[in-house]
Amino acid sequence: MSAPITKHAARQHGSRRISEPAAVRWLLTAIALAFLALFLALPLAAVFSQAFEKGWETYLAALKEPDTLAAVKLTLLTAAVAVPLNLVFGVAASWAIAKFSFTGKNLLITLIDLPFSVSPVISGLIYVLIFGRQGWLGPWLEAHDIKIVFAVPGIILATVFVTFPFIARELIPLMESQGKDEEEAAMVLGASGLQTFFRVTLPNIKWGIIYGVILCNARAMGEFGAVSVVSGHIRGMTNTVPLQVEILYNEYNYTAAFAVASLLAFLALVTLVVKTIAEWQVQRQLQD
Amino acid sequence: MSIEIENISKQFGDFTALDNVSLTIPTGELVALLGPSGCGKTTLLRIIAGLEAADRGRILFNGENTTDRHVRERKVGFVFQHYALFKHMTVFDNVAFGLTVRPKSSRPSKGEIRDKVMNLLKLVQLDFQSDRYPSQLSGGQRQRIALARALAVEPQVLLLDEPFGALDAQVRAELRRWLRRLHDEIHVTSVFVTHDQEEALEVADRIVVMNKGRVEQAGTPDLVYDHPANPFVLNFLGNVNLFHGRTQHGVGVQDNRNAVSYVRSHDIEIDRSQQDSTSFRAEVKHVQKLGPSVRVTLVMDGNAELIEAELTRDAFQNLGLQHGEKVYVRPRQVRVFVEDYQI
Repeated sequence: MSAPITKHAARQHGSRRISEPAAVRWLLTAIALAFLALFLALPLAAVFSQAFEKGWETYLAALKEPDTLAAVKLTLLTAAVAVPLNLVFGVAASWAIAKFSFTGKNLLITLIDLPFSVSPVISGLIYVLIFGRQGWLGPWLEAHDIKIVFAVPGIILATVFVTFPFIARELIPLMESQGKDEEEAAMVLGASGLQTFFRVTLPNIKWGIIYGVILCNARAMGEFGAVSVVSGHIRGMTNTVPLQVEILYNEYNYTAAFAVASLLAFLALVTLVVKTIAEWQVQRQLQD
Repeated sequence: MSIEIENISKQFGDFTALDNVSLTIPTGELVALLGPSGCGKTTLLRIIAGLEAADRGRILFNGENTTDRHVRERKVGFVFQHYALFKHMTVFDNVAFGLTVRPKSSRPSKGEIRDKVMNLLKLVQLDFQSDRYPSQLSGGQRQRIALARALAVEPQVLLLDEPFGALDAQVRAELRRWLRRLHDEIHVTSVFVTHDQEEALEVADRIVVMNKGRVEQAGTPDLVYDHPANPFVLNFLGNVNLFHGRTQHGVGVQDNRNAVSYVRSHDIEIDRSQQDSTSFRAEVKHVQKLGPSVRVTLVMDGNAELIEAELTRDAFQNLGLQHGEKVYVRPRQVRVFVEDYQI
């Protein structure tokens, strides 16, 4: 197999040397593929094979378990709140940053990036420090019987914080590259702010939004660190899917742990497909 | 509708884009704002449109103060250098946009919009392209669609920001002739920005020459070309040669050191023999053929100053000039500026 390749490479080498020799190209591709297989495909296969080790019935039974169902519901709820909130915030922030110049713009960009640079555990701790029993607002919240930490609101807050750069980060460069000519043209033609947004800006950033939303959603559903700190791990109440996986695993309930983990793996695959389509569409839009 | 610009100033940080500009644009005229890049012409156009706010001064449309009126309510048509067509809409929807965003009470019916858009597309000779998307059109076609879109709202004023700047030379020349004819048909007060003097001279009824945020001269193309108010205008509207006072050979003002004489390169005659006292000896240094005309660079005897002369191809061939040949050069028309005064 390797002999004809090297021969071919030698021939190319002699005549025209536009790119690297074929052998080098093949080697680089092989390394990349081997790496992908070892660190991505293999673990993914392991998750599914472990999940189905004891057959379909055990798999379904593990998913139907009440605590697991509660964890799935909580994860869906968290994503259903966090993603729309960050969508509104992300579009508003990138609109402001890309189409206007104002003082404090760089500070805003830095702040948007903050969750990327802070460890998720710290993000969780911040909320415990503010809303926890010993925290700043703890006594007041307790007096009014409002529970945030070790309850659903805390989980949602931590998730919102961790996922908040995704949509803005995707939209800012896209909107900056598109400039504001089209918006100005719409305004001169008499369109109101809302008409300009919905009829001109939105169609131009549609795929960028889808891309940002899908990444934001994947992170919101898969977040472990920050949520783990604020959750309190109350079974059937404050456990999200990743936390549930951890608990099951720690109890040596491997089949159930991998069955639940397979849900997240499946989410990852769907995310990957949608992300690829969105990326391709964004590139196409940037070209014309 | 006439536009009056009163004492407009605009600052971007430390940069003065416009410095106390006043100007009147009469109804129905096609006016060119001409100047080098950074002279403030685009800023002035955007202030007239309401896309930019002036720091000081007023804008009046037909004597009515519109300085604080929102761009949406100014009823201007604006054509952008890079077309700014809505990429995701068809040509038809682009042109119809200004009509379809109107509130229900003043919006024409679907049929009326259709008729109007198709008429406009006919006007810009692109009615067969109505179902296409902007990315499927050429640059010249896109700019014509942008113009149709601007005209759809029946603007009182049409503003064009370097409308031909992104097009190649031939399409450019064609489109500007077409714009001139279109303006003769519809007669809407129009202002267009350009840095191309040829374009301004060919298309405009009036030219406003701008430099460093100020108006240098405003007037008909003949006026600014034949009677430039100052060296900048003269310089900007064609190639000129400079002769400093004392170095003159029988032309200009010799005894005034501050006087500078200017001669356009096509106002320089080249002869084999001395004609009169205004000609002087020079040596042919370089010859450049530029299509219909030929540019000859000469070195003056005595002070080694360079002169550029522009000849027609015929004249050049009749003379049969050679490199290094000694000839006589005679300025046909000389303009002398002493500091700010024209003599």
